[in-house]
Amino acid sequence: MTVWFKDAWGPGYGTSFEVPDEPAPAGEGGAEVVVNVERELPVWEALSPAPGARTPDVVMLVDGVRRIDGGMWSREPDGASHRALAVSYAAGVVRCDLRRGVADLVDSEVRRGLFTSSPTATDLVAGQVRYEVHRVGSPDPAKLPRAIQAPLTALEVHVSDRAGDDAGLLVLDGPLRSRRHLRNAVGYTKTQQESYLPAELIPVVTDLAPGQRTPVFRRGTRWASYSWYLRLPGPRGAPWSGIVRVECSTEVGDQAAIELADVSAVTLPRFASTPYKDARAPQNLVPIGGLERRLRALLGDPRLLDRALSLATRSPAPVTA
Amino acid sequence: MGHDALVRDELDQLTQDPLPRLESPGVDAPGEVVGRVLGTADATPLQFWTAVAPGSYLQLDDVVVTRRELPGGEPVTIAGVVTQVRARHEGAQFDSDVFAIADGTLPAQVQEAAEITTTRVDPETYVPPHPGAVVHRARGEARRQALHFDRMERPIPIGTGRDGVPVYLNADFLDGQRGAHVSISGISGVATKTSFATFLLYSVFNSPVLGGDRVNTKALIFNVKGEDLLFLDHPNARLDDRTRAAYAQLGLPAGPFGDVRVFAPPRAGDRSGSPDVSSRLSGVDTFYWTLAEFCAKRLLPYVFADADDERQQYTMVVHAVAAHLERHAQPAEGGGGVSIDGVAINGYDTLVDFVVDRLNDEETRHSWTGSAVGQGTVNAFARRLIASKKDLSRLIRGDLATRRPHEVNTAASAQVSVVDLHNLPDRAQRFVVGVTLKTEFERKEKAGTAKPLLFVVLDELNKYAPRDGSSPIKEVLLDIAERGRSLGVILVGAQQTASEVERRIVTNSAVRVVGRLDPAEASRPEYGFLPQAQRQRVLLAKPGTMFVNQPDIPVPLCVEFPFPAWATRPAEAGAAPAAVLRSITQSADPFAVVGAKSGLSDDEIPF
Repeated sequence: MTVWFKDAWGPGYGTSFEVPDEPAPAGEGGAEVVVNVERELPVWEALSPAPGARTPDVVMLVDGVRRIDGGMWSREPDGASHRALAVSYAAGVVRCDLRRGVADLVDSEVRRGLFTSSPTATDLVAGQVRYEVHRVGSPDPAKLPRAIQAPLTALEVHVSDRAGDDAGLLVLDGPLRSRRHLRNAVGYTKTQQESYLPAELIPVVTDLAPGQRTPVFRRGTRWASYSWYLRLPGPRGAPWSGIVRVECSTEVGDQAAIELADVSAVTLPRFASTPYKDARAPQNLVPIGGLERRLRALLGDPRLLDRALSLATRSPAPVTA
Repeated sequence: MGHDALVRDELDQLTQDPLPRLESPGVDAPGEVVGRVLGTADATPLQFWTAVAPGSYLQLDDVVVTRRELPGGEPVTIAGVVTQVRARHEGAQFDSDVFAIADGTLPAQVQEAAEITTTRVDPETYVPPHPGAVVHRARGEARRQALHFDRMERPIPIGTGRDGVPVYLNADFLDGQRGAHVSISGISGVATKTSFATFLLYSVFNSPVLGGDRVNTKALIFNVKGEDLLFLDHPNARLDDRTRAAYAQLGLPAGPFGDVRVFAPPRAGDRSGSPDVSSRLSGVDTFYWTLAEFCAKRLLPYVFADADDERQQYTMVVHAVAAHLERHAQPAEGGGGVSIDGVAINGYDTLVDFVVDRLNDEETRHSWTGSAVGQGTVNAFARRLIASKKDLSRLIRGDLATRRPHEVNTAASAQVSVVDLHNLPDRAQRFVVGVTLKTEFERKEKAGTAKPLLFVVLDELNKYAPRDGSSPIKEVLLDIAERGRSLGVILVGAQQTASEVERRIVTNSAVRVVGRLDPAEASRPEYGFLPQAQRQRVLLAKPGTMFVNQPDIPVPLCVEFPFPAWATRPAEAGAAPAAVLRSITQSADPFAVVGAKSGLSDDEIPF
C-alpha cells in the first residue's frame, strides 16, 4: 500500500517548471514545407477572404483545461519516494449558433487523474472525488506535467466526436493531431513557437492586415496538414501580435482546404477577444475564453479539493508518550 | 321582534351550511418541481434563495414549499412566498459580455433565482433548508398550509392571488374576536381604497363565515367623493361573464348589495328638506338634526371640530354655551324649533344670532359663559360661530317636522347605510361624521354587546383623526379604535397617507391594506410591514391590486379583487331594486306632511 504525503506547498510553487502550452509535435522539426498549394512562389502574398466566403451558421469550438490540485510524494514499501500530481482536467464543446445568437456549452466532461511514476500507486480517493492513477514511465518529476497532455487531448477528441457534425466550422484548440477525421475541423494554434515558413516568406506573415491570411501551404510528413496564418483584429504591436496559425487535415484536398481557409478568415476575427477582458487577447477567442471559464468552474473549488487531498493523505496523529 | 325571530330561523339554516371549501383537497404531494435551494447565498430559516430550474419560472407572490429531513425527527416543511426574482448571465464577467452572448459567441447561461420569504415552518423547528433541496410550487393543500388558510376557522375571501387562486382574510381579526379594524392606504384614484372597502363588506355580508350574525350586521359608509357609493344596491350593467366567474371562484354571488339605505343632506335653501343628490333620484332619505336635538344632545362642540379649534382659548366658551343650551332650550311644540328664555327659534341662523346677541350683552354674557372669560375670547367664539351659519344651517333645522324620520340610525336602518357627504363643505362634513359616529358609538355602548357588528367605512381618515392635535371627532375615532373591538364597532378607515393619521388608530388596526403609494410615503415606518421588494411594488400597484397584511401571515399577500358587481356611478347602474322603486311613492311620511306647519294650511290636500 502506497502511503501518500501531500506537499504543503501549493501546486503552483511545488512545480517550479513551466508547462509548455502547446508542445510542438515530435518529429516535425525541419519538416518539408510545400508553399505552392494556393499561390505559386513569386506571387505569395497576403490574401483577403474570397468575396463568396461567409460565416457558417453554426460554429463549434473545442477546448480543454487542466489544473494541478496538489503535489504529492509517496513512500513506497521499499523506502523509495515518487513524485505525483493530482490533476483535474476537463474538455468541452461550445456550439455557437450565430443565426439564433445562442452560444451553448453542449458537452463537457471532467476527469481527475493521479500522475505518478510510483509503481505501486492505486486510485486515490479524496472526499467525494477519485483520482484515477496514470502511471508515467519516467521517474523525472519535471516530466510529469507534460504527461497530462495526452489524456487531456484524448478527452478533447472524445467530446469532439460526440459533438455532432452539423457545424460549418469546428475549431479545435491546438494542433489537429489525431482529430483529422472530423468534418470541417481546423486546428487553432495561438502561440507561434517556430515559424513553419521559409525565412524569405516571413514578411508576408508579419505584414498581414487584420482579417487577412497567408495562402495555404502544406507541411509535415507524419502529421501532415494544410496551414495558413491569419491576423486577428486588435492593436498592432509586435510583428507577430495577433497572428494565429490555422491548420486542417490533408485528407480534404487542396480546394476544400482553401475554402476552409476563407471561412476561417471571415469567422475567426469575429471571435477575437479584447485585451482588457482576456490576458491572451486577441488570440484566445471569446467562446474559448467563456468555455475555459465554465470548465474551470466545473473542475470544482481548488481550495475544497486541496482540503480533501490533505484529509485523504493525513497520517495518523503521532501518539505522544 | 317577531320579524327578528323569523330572520334568525332562516339564519340558523344558513349556519348549518359548511364553511366554503377553500380549494379542492390537495394530494399529499405539493405541486410540480420548480427548482432547488441555492447554496451561493445564505439559506436561513426565514429567507432563502431558490435557483429556478430550466423550463420553469417563478413570479413574485408564487407560493413554494420545500422540505428538510432532520436526523431522528420528522421532516420539516418550509413554505414561503416569492418576494424577489432575478435573472442573470452566468459566465459573463463584464457588462459588455452581454453583446457577445447575444451575438452567440460567448457561452453563458441565463439563471433565474427567486428569493423566498418563509411564511410557515411546520413543525416549528427553525432550521434553514438545505442547499440543493428540491423546491415545489405549492398547490392545493400545500398552498393552503403555506398561507395559513388551513388554520382559519372562518376565512373571508378577499380576492385572488397572482396565481389566480383565492386569498382569504381571517374573520377572527376582523370581527373583534382576536383583532379588529382595517386600515387602507393608497393614492386617491389609483389605489381603489373605497372599492376594496366595499368589496370587503360585500364579502363579509355574502360569505357564511359570520353565521347567524350576518343579517343583523350593519355597515355605515360615509360617501365623501362624488356619488360613487350611492348605487351600491344597483347591479352593475357592465358586469361580464369573466367577472361573474371571478366572484364564483371566491364563492360569492355577483350582485349588488341587497339592503341599502342612502342618506343625503337637505338641499341648501330648500325649505321642504329634499335630499341634495343629483344622480340618484329615488330611495334617498334626508338626514338633518332638529334644533331641539342640537341643544339637548350638546352637539355644539362638533361645530368646532377642526383640530385647530381645540387649541384655542374659546373651547371653554363652546362647552359653556353648549351646557347653557342644553339647560335652557325648550323644544317648541310640534316642529323642531326651540325656545330659549321665551324666544322662539326655528333655524340655525336664528340660533346663532340669538347666542351672539346674548354674548354681546353685558348683562347676559356671564350667565352663558361663566365669569372668567374675557371679551376677546368671546368674540373669537362668536366670529367662528357666525362663520358656521353658512355651512350648517341646512343640517340643523327648526322648520321641519319633528316626526319626520331624519336621523342616521344604523340599528333601525338597512344593512348598509350610506351617508352622502360629498356636497357638504368641510366643516359640515366634520359635523356629520362626528355626530353620527358619536351617536352610533353611544348606542353600541348602551347596548352593551358586541353583536351585531357595525362596520364603519370612513375615507380621508387623516382629516378626521390627524396625527397632531385633538378634536371631538378624533376622540370618537380613538374611542372606536381602542374600545370598538369589544363593542362591535369595526372601523374600516382609508387614507392617502397612514403617516398622517393618529398612530394609535393605525396601530390598533389588525388588518392593514396598501394600494398604490406615493414613493415618499412608501418609505415611512408606518409601512414597515412591507418587505423591501413590496415597498417597491406598491409604487406600481395597479387599480384593483392591494397588499393585505393580516396578523396570521408574516408576509403581506398581493391580492386582486374583482371588479365591483354593483354600480359605482350612474352610467353603470342597472335596473333599480324594487325597494327603491317602492320608496318613490312611500318616501314622504304622510303624517309628517300633515303635521308640518310650513306653508300648508289644514284645509289643503297634503299629498
